[in-house]
Amino acid sequence: MKTNQIIILLGVLGTTFPAAAFDFGKIDLNKAIETVKKVQKANTDINEPQEITLGQGIAGSLLGAAPLLDNPPVQEYVNRVGRWLTLQTERPDLPWQFGVLDDNDVNAFSAPGGYVFITKGLLAQMNSEAELAGVLAHEISHVLRKHHLQAIKKSARTELLADLANDAIKNNGKDPRLTKLVSAGTEVYARGLDKKDEFEADRMGVVIAARGGYDPYGLPAVLQTLESLNPSDSSVALMFKTHPALADRLSVLDQEMSGQFTMEENQPDLAPRFFQALGAGKK
Amino acid sequence: MRNIIALCLLLGFAPTVWAGGYAYTIRPTELKTKPYTDAKTLTSLPPRTRVEVLTRQASWTQVKSASFSGWVKMLNLKLESNVQNKRGDNGLRALFNVASTGRSSSTVTTGIRGLSEEQLKNATPNPQALQDAKRYAVSREAARRYAEEGKLHAQSVDYLQGGQ
Repeated sequence: MKTNQIIILLGVLGTTFPAAAFDFGKIDLNKAIETVKKVQKANTDINEPQEITLGQGIAGSLLGAAPLLDNPPVQEYVNRVGRWLTLQTERPDLPWQFGVLDDNDVNAFSAPGGYVFITKGLLAQMNSEAELAGVLAHEISHVLRKHHLQAIKKSARTELLADLANDAIKNNGKDPRLTKLVSAGTEVYARGLDKKDEFEADRMGVVIAARGGYDPYGLPAVLQTLESLNPSDSSVALMFKTHPALADRLSVLDQEMSGQFTMEENQPDLAPRFFQALGAGKK
Repeated sequence: MRNIIALCLLLGFAPTVWAGGYAYTIRPTELKTKPYTDAKTLTSLPPRTRVEVLTRQASWTQVKSASFSGWVKMLNLKLESNVQNKRGDNGLRALFNVASTGRSSSTVTTGIRGLSEEQLKNATPNPQALQDAKRYAVSREAARRYAEEGKLHAQSVDYLQGGQ
């Protein structure tokens, strides 16, 4: 029986790769088998400190692309709102850190381990603290569910991840293997996450905002505003490219939120505090 | 919530207002007297009814036109993109020096920096900036105090199941 199966397997290989399958002359078969074994055995389960190490590197890259907005009161405000939201989640003890990027692009990012950034371009499209909370909670959800880490696992070389998982990589910022992983990680932001991860972050984000005592419709309100922006404007190009269509996200949220937040409908949106904190002194 | 809006108006704060923005209905939409499901229905607006957007209250948006005013479900609306690309101007773009279209001149002059696809791929890490950002991080206690100041009350809410 077993021999038959091998013969069938060889037959399949033979038909698929007629030229290469039996040409063992050019490769060291033992070495190849070793490598396969190593990759199979490689432990790429990243623990929390390792996740934070990788996230630090990626966050540093994002800050290399766009600097922090030089406005301490605004930075502190966003950290207060964001940190409160994280206390409503299953990972309240990560070293959560929030930042506003001095960039006109309309976008927000998070990195493994608890780093969340929002551009001033996106902040300027908002109308209340509940809207800010909705966007931060969406980003927080990516960290909670380790969406970026999963995307990196799909794209980075397994042995690099195994080195990180086995603490073979030193977190002194100079290890070239960490640099490579961070680089692979940063590319995820140019490519975008799986669409299902974005929908999941929307779905979780509205709940986390509601848990924080906010009007849960802040996130859909922001998405609705973004839908009205000119899609050909360069400031929305990356956000539009890396996310599902806003109409789809809104339609999914509409269905999933319908009837689910009757108790939370009357929670405050803290619009006055939002404008005050941002120094706008609106009306 | 009605009381909060009244209070805001009393104190001279505007609630979430986007005066000057327009939207249209994307499906048949009931126009209600108040932002509640069981409020009286004034009429049913057909799809593509153009309305002026006044304010939002949770899942409801207050709208008006020459012939009616009332509340509709927010997500039954699609906002029109106007010249400002926005539901009116909230003043924040001027405050943060955000250009209304395109990138600001400062982004252009620095050239290599920015959040476009290419720029992200070629970003040079800036660990010092991350270190600088750390000083704005707040403790749990500080976050709780600030929530309390805003009269935010933590709620127990289950995650939505979702259809996948």
